[in-house]
This record gives sequence, C-alpha cells and structure tokens, in this order.
Amino acid sequence: MAELFGNLIDGLTFVTGIIPILTITLGVIMGIIAGATPGLSPSMGVALLVPFTYAMSPTLALILLVAIYIAANYGGSITAVTINAPGTPSSVVTAFDGYPLTKKGKPGLALGVSLVASTVGGIIGTLILIFFSGPLAKFALKFHPAEYFALAIFGLTTVASLGGKNWIKAFIAAMFGLLLNTVGIDPISGVSRFTFGFSFLYDGFALIPALIGLFALSEIFKQLEGGDFSSQQVAPGKQEWPTASTYWKLKNTIMRSSFMGTIIGIFPGAGATIAAFISYDVTKRMSKTPEEFGKGSLEGVAAAEGANSSSVGGALIPLLTLGIPGSASTAVLIGALMIHDLTPGPQLFISNPDIIYGLLASLLIANIILLVLGFFGARLWIKVTTIPKTVLFPLIFAVSIIGSFAVRNSFFDVAACLAFGIFGWLLRRYNYPVAPIILGMVLGNIAETNFIRAVMMGGWTVFFTRPLSLGMLVVAAASFAVPLIQARKQK
Amino acid sequence: MKQVLNDAKVKYTLRAIGLIMLILAFLLLVPSVQAAFPEKPIKIVVYTGPGGLIDISARKFAGVASKYVDVNFVVENKPGAGGIVALKKVIQAPADGYNLYACTKSNIAKFVQVGGSDYLDALSWTAMLMADPECVITNGTQDLHQWPQIVENALQQPGEQNWVGPAAGGLDHVTALKIWDAYGMDAKWIPFKSGGKALAALLGEQGVAYVGNPRDALGNPDLHIAAVSSPERLEAFPDVPTFTELGMVGLENEYMWRGFALKKGTPPEVVQWYDALFKQVTADPEWISFWGKGGIDVKYVAEKEFTAQVKKDAEVFEYYLRKSNIIQGEAEGILAIIATGTTFNVLSLLLVLTWLSVSYGVYRSDYSAITGRVMIIGFFLVVSILFLVQSLNFPNGSAVGPAAVPRLWIFMLIPLNLLLLYKTFRNVAEISESGPRVDIVLNFIGFLVGYLLVMQVLGYFLSTFGFIIAGLYYLGYRKWRNVFIISASWILFSYLIFYKTLYVPLPLGTLFERIF
Repeated sequence: MAELFGNLIDGLTFVTGIIPILTITLGVIMGIIAGATPGLSPSMGVALLVPFTYAMSPTLALILLVAIYIAANYGGSITAVTINAPGTPSSVVTAFDGYPLTKKGKPGLALGVSLVASTVGGIIGTLILIFFSGPLAKFALKFHPAEYFALAIFGLTTVASLGGKNWIKAFIAAMFGLLLNTVGIDPISGVSRFTFGFSFLYDGFALIPALIGLFALSEIFKQLEGGDFSSQQVAPGKQEWPTASTYWKLKNTIMRSSFMGTIIGIFPGAGATIAAFISYDVTKRMSKTPEEFGKGSLEGVAAAEGANSSSVGGALIPLLTLGIPGSASTAVLIGALMIHDLTPGPQLFISNPDIIYGLLASLLIANIILLVLGFFGARLWIKVTTIPKTVLFPLIFAVSIIGSFAVRNSFFDVAACLAFGIFGWLLRRYNYPVAPIILGMVLGNIAETNFIRAVMMGGWTVFFTRPLSLGMLVVAAASFAVPLIQARKQK
Repeated sequence: MKQVLNDAKVKYTLRAIGLIMLILAFLLLVPSVQAAFPEKPIKIVVYTGPGGLIDISARKFAGVASKYVDVNFVVENKPGAGGIVALKKVIQAPADGYNLYACTKSNIAKFVQVGGSDYLDALSWTAMLMADPECVITNGTQDLHQWPQIVENALQQPGEQNWVGPAAGGLDHVTALKIWDAYGMDAKWIPFKSGGKALAALLGEQGVAYVGNPRDALGNPDLHIAAVSSPERLEAFPDVPTFTELGMVGLENEYMWRGFALKKGTPPEVVQWYDALFKQVTADPEWISFWGKGGIDVKYVAEKEFTAQVKKDAEVFEYYLRKSNIIQGEAEGILAIIATGTTFNVLSLLLVLTWLSVSYGVYRSDYSAITGRVMIIGFFLVVSILFLVQSLNFPNGSAVGPAAVPRLWIFMLIPLNLLLLYKTFRNVAEISESGPRVDIVLNFIGFLVGYLLVMQVLGYFLSTFGFIIAGLYYLGYRKWRNVFIISASWILFSYLIFYKTLYVPLPLGTLFERIF
C-alpha cells in the first residue's frame, strides 16, 4: 500500500507540471468537442490523435489520449441536452431527461448536473481503478459468456420500465433493434446474414447514424410538423443553474450510479451504454418520484452521466492489469502503447511504473480540469439553445450528415441516418419510444454471441447451472415483471 | 562588443538567407527532376480502425519511408467487411499508385469468401514486408498448458476441448483447423470479437488454447506459448519449441503476413518507385528493431513470389472455408429456393403490395384514423417475414446456427405486432391528431434527398453551402448577411476540422474530379 501511495505521489508530481497540465487541458478541450459532435465518438477522438502522439513521450501521449477519452464521454451529454442529439451512444440515456429539461426552458439544470455527475463519477471510477484493480480484474476474468448473456438480458429488461404504458411498442422497438443488429457478417459462424448481396451491409448498420437519425433528425421533423420553428428552444436571458443543495440531494444517485458504472465498465465489451441504461433503470425504481423520469428528472440525468463516466475507470482495469481492452477506446490506447514500443499488461507495472502511475494521476487531474472547463463552458454551450430554430435546424442537418459520413467514410451511413430519421419521426408520431431500438442495437451482438458461445462451451443448461448467471437472470426476470404488474394494477 | 555582436548577427542572417534560398532552389528543382511520381500525398488505405497491428504497420511504414522519399503519406482507415470496403476504395480509384492497400493474409480469407477470385485479381500484390509465425498460446496457470498434453487430452475426448480466438473463417481459425488436421484431433473453436477478448477468456480458464501471434503473449506472464509454427525457434522467444521439434511435419510455415498491394494496372515506373522504397524501408535499422522486439520477422518479398503466395493461401482458405461451411454451397431444397434469387424478389414485391393495399383498404374504411398505425405494424410484419424467409437459407452451425437468434427476435416481433394490431383496432376512438405541417416535413425530406444527390456531383462543400442557405431561407430566416456568414463558417469549419485535420475524405464530387 505504501508503495502504491509513493508511486501515486510520484505520478501526481509529474502530471502537475506545466506541460502535462497543458496537455491534459488540450486533451479535455478536444475531447469535449469530439464527444459533442455526433459522429465523432470517444474512440474516434482518441484514434484520430494517435498519429499526433508519435513525437511525444509515451507518458504525455497517454495522458493526452486519456484526457480526450474522459472529456469525450462527458461531451456527448452536451448535445444530448441541448439539441437531443446524443454525441455518444452512452449519452442517449442523458437525453431522456436532459432534453425535456431544455424544452421546459431549464437546460442549465441539466448541463450543470451532467457535468458534476460526470466528473464525480469519473473520479470515483478512477479511485476504484487505483485501489481495487487487481481483485476486480481477477473477478472479471471469471465472467463466463453465460454471465455476459445474462447481463445483456438484464440490460434489455430495462425496456419494460422505459416503455411504461406503451410497453408493447417499447418491446417491438427493442426487438426491431435486435433484429437490425443481426444484419451483416455473423460474428460466430462467419456467414453473411440479411445482406441481400450488398457489400455495404456486411458490417451491418453503424450505431451512430442510427442514433443521430432516431434522436436528432426525428426531433427536428417532429418540431417542423408541429409548425413550431419560428422561435428559440429557450428564450435568451438569465438561465437557471443548479445550486449546491441540488447537487447534495443527488449525492446518493451519483454515488450509486458511479459504482455501477465502474463495475459494468470492467467487463470487456459491455461498456458505458449498458451501464447508463441499467443505472437509469435502477435509479428510477429507487426514486421517490419515478413519474418525473423521462420528463426532466435531475436524478435521471445524474444516473446516466455518473454511470457512463465512471465506466471509463472500469474499462481501464482490464487494459492495465491484463493488457486486454474493455472498450473500443481502450483498444486504441493499446495501439498507442504499442506504437511507443510498450506492451500493455501487468508487466508494465513493473517495467514502467512511471507511465502507469502518471496515467492514473492524470485521470484524476483530467476530471478536475474537466469540471473547471465544463463549468465555464456550460455558460457557452447553453447558448446553442437560444439559437433561433430556423438557423439551428439546417445546422443540425449539416452536423448529422457530416457526422454519419465520418463514422466509416461511407455514403451508405448518411443514407441510413436519413432513413432512421424518417423512420424515427413516424414511430414517435405513433408513440413508439425510439431509445429501445438503440438499446437493441447495442445489446444484440453481446446477447447473441455470448449466448452461442455459452451453449458451445457448456451446453444449453449452462445459464442455470452457473450461480452468477442464474442470479442475474432471476434479477432480470423480476425487473422485467415488476413494472408490468405495477402498470396492470394501476389500471 | 556591440559591433562584434552585430557582425555575428549579420553573418547568421546571411547564412540563414543562403540556407533558405538553397532549400527553395532544392524544392523547386526536385519536382522538375522527378516530376513523374509522386506529385501529391500518397494514401495508405488500412482496412481496420486505428490501433490494430496493420494500422501500426502502416503508420510506422509512413514514418520510416518519409526518411527516404519526400512525400507525404496519409494513413486512411477504411474499416469494414474484413477489408472489402477498403479494397473497393482502392480499386475504384484510378491505377495511378496514389492508393496503397495495406493488406494482410486475413484479407485473402475474406476475399475468397465474398468475392472469389475477382477480388484477388483486382490487385497486384506488390510487396510482403512482414511475416510472423502463428503460434498456440496457453494459460500457464492451468494444468493443461504443454503442447503434448493438450494433444493427448484432445485425442482422448474428441470435440470437447475449447479453443478460443478471433472470428470464424479468419486466419487463426484456419490455422487451428490445419493443426487439428495434422494431429488428427478435433476440438471446438469458440470465436470472440477480437483476439484480446479471446485472450481474456483463455486467462479466465474458459478455453485450453488460443491461436494467434507470439506478440499477443508478451504483456502477461500467465500466458505461455506452447508451440510455434516456424522452421526454427524465434529469436525473441528462444524457449518456445517449434512444431517440427515437437515431432510434427507440415506445420513449420503457418504464418501471418502483412504487405502492400496496388490496383492492377499501375504504371511500371510507379511500381519500380515503390520497389525501391520497400527495399530501403525493409533494410532500415529503425524498422527492423521496432518489429524485431515483438518476434515479427521483417522481410521483403517482391511481387512475383508474393503473388504466388497469395494464390496458394487462397486455395488453402477456400478448402477450409468450404469444409467448415462458411462458404455456402448452392441452395438446396424448396425452402432454400424461396430464400434466393428471383423467387425471393417476387415474394418481397408481393408482400409490399399486400402491405400497401391493406393499408389503403384501412384508409378507405371506417378505420381510416388508424391507417398510420396499421402501416407501421405492417412494416414490422413485412420485415419480419422477409427476414424469416432469408434465414431459411442459412447453413446449420455447430451448436446454435446463425439463424437461431434472428428467428428468436422475429418470433417475438410477430406476435407482439399482432397483439398491437388487435389492440389498435379495439381502441380506434383514442387516436391523436397529427401535426398541422406534415407538408413542411415532406418538403424538407425531399430537399435533403436532393442535397445528397447533388453532393455526388458538386461535392460536399459546394452542395452544403447551397443547402444551408436554402434551408435557412425555406424556414423563413431572411437576414442575408448572417445567412452567408453561417453557411461560409460551416464550410470553413468542416474543411479545416473534418477534411484537413481528421482526414475525413468528404466527397469532392464527380464534376471536380473530372476537371482536376
């Protein structure tokens, strides 16, 4: 333990120098921009900068990349709140309550809470990473495909409470998302499915164009249809910001979602999005005012952001302790390490402790810098909500198109984005929630591949003979049934 | 003193001016000396996202190569479909040598699976630069981690051992199949999304062995390389036995290669330019030491030999991919016929027509208020049925076939939609009105489609400039000065950030490509 603190203090001393602080600040700014722009995901933000980090020292390069990674996770919430265009898949959940708050004329509350929940979540995730990475990594390794499947099913059951009265429609949407996710090369058998001979379908539908279309474009279509585009979303003037007591009331929510986010973030592949959905669902059930959720609940915003930001710490656990990436972004970090001739994994703690602890310390500092920059920044990006809609709408279209093109440099994604936009608009007209489609697209692959893997490895009964998997499935079944029974009773 | 300083200053200034002039003269002269190739940046097209080994190879190559030639290399990531997306980008561009395809042996597996020999013949395989032997990695903390014991165990219980690795049908899978064939053993291949995730499963004791690159075992002391498929022991891993030493003949040359290919038909002088460059880079000490540490064999195999290798690899892949049912044979049986070709198209057309006419029927009936709802439900049903029919043609997998899970979702979608349809007809009364301005939405959608079409011809920048101006105008914004400022700043922003900094290849349009 003493050695750990000694190393950590060395790390902190290093990253509090002028150059590292400037590097982190630069990274945070770039990350916020990358995260806020739909189409530039944290992993792309990180990836795009890998070449620029050639010339830097490995520690500085990693610090820069990690700062981008952290800030991008927060950045996604800005556009989710202000224009209902989640910049990252995990900030979909932030939009559930963040955007209704903007519509009520209170974007400041949502932006403030998302910033604080993000940074507190980020710091909690980092602390867990620093102190418990060893045992947690061992635990994560024991996670069998059966448990991954159970986790995915657990994530899917959040649809029951997301849908509320429209649960049938919510399930149809989720199933449709799951079905769309099967388009492309089957990851298990290598067979191409539902591609109808088109090579652009081999990799299936990318998530980001679907996200932009279903959320941002459908929202614009809806508002255009309402004939409501002559004003601003929020009248310019004095904005309402959260007070210290607002944050204090959310302390339990933020803490709980941060722990959940870190734990779910550990499992390679599960990541920030599932963490946000499950945390939102749990918070809604535990809340005294569940009816506020989806209409502008600050608890909802805090639950989503706390979970998706703390998952960064979680995702770094397998990377640093095992050399195995927990998310797309950390996969890029491995590449960055390799370019600097470093081999990620437990050996790195012994061979280059300065790099590891510099990295850990920079995670803490990056969150603090993010808090400061975000605090002033929020005053700036809240102005987006006061742009006249006549100007805002064409610009959102422009962002959507360039953003969906940038994902894979492909026109197919642009067309898909527009199609999802029209489809989402039609669905929302008839009260179908669109978020379950995204959830289905995120979870489909995890559910399917792990289901098949589990059966290949242990036969059909494996889901019920492994205690952890059985336990998770029971919880999932309960969390599925309870809201439906409640809804029936209320009738 | 001051005088001296000034003298020195003058001297340095003169020298600096001289140097600048020299550089300028050099810059002016060089292009005229070898104006032929290259006169603009060269794109290295990488078929994965940033961060993988092939991406690192491309970037490292760009770095080392720029020591020898005065040209800007730009690495462009075009991930998708195991390399097909990147391949299409290269073969659709002119054969002028400005698009270098960074290829690996895995591409061959995908090309064989998807396009047969068409894709293989579209490229000329210019140079193989690296080859690393495949190896079997085991978990040193498990009892079963030495190669002879693994074989013995597998022979005792055929088909029971779990082997983990990346996607089915890829190089590592095929290597495993070859190893099993050689030993007459049988095991299960459990594919994971990436090599890293498969290694996690190996460390979590969910499998016995992993097939991949020796470099994969570097970071974690629990990972043990059981056997390597090279003629001799590797310098970087002197303790690892080869298959030959372990008594098996025929497994001494299973390796992963990485190299570069150009579009077929590239002018010979350009190919020669590349040949010279590849020779220089492969002899470069920085290049050799960077890869050598990871046990990767740096080599230079020129076009003729490389092409022969590719051909050989393609044959082997084809054999094993057919054997493991990944390349599908011709459709058989009545069900399969429905799922393919003209029959399927006719069926789709019939379904869509039914959908439209039922919707029209509802619209003309007393239930016209719910037409929209019925159409949405109908859409889901049509998609479900079409997907279900398609799934009839999927081959059977080992435990759970590729059709099982999609069908599960379909079998949930269909009853849910029927239930909803029933409920919709029962509650016709409580239908909300749609918004007043559907016309604006439809116009806007048409407008967006038009914009995307115009973009193909005029390119991103010009068409977007027009689109934003038109969009603002249509929505009733009339401050003309602002309109131009907004539109121009967006163009500038997308040019500087997306096009220049992030290398997003925004389309310049066929018109511009014709002219320039």
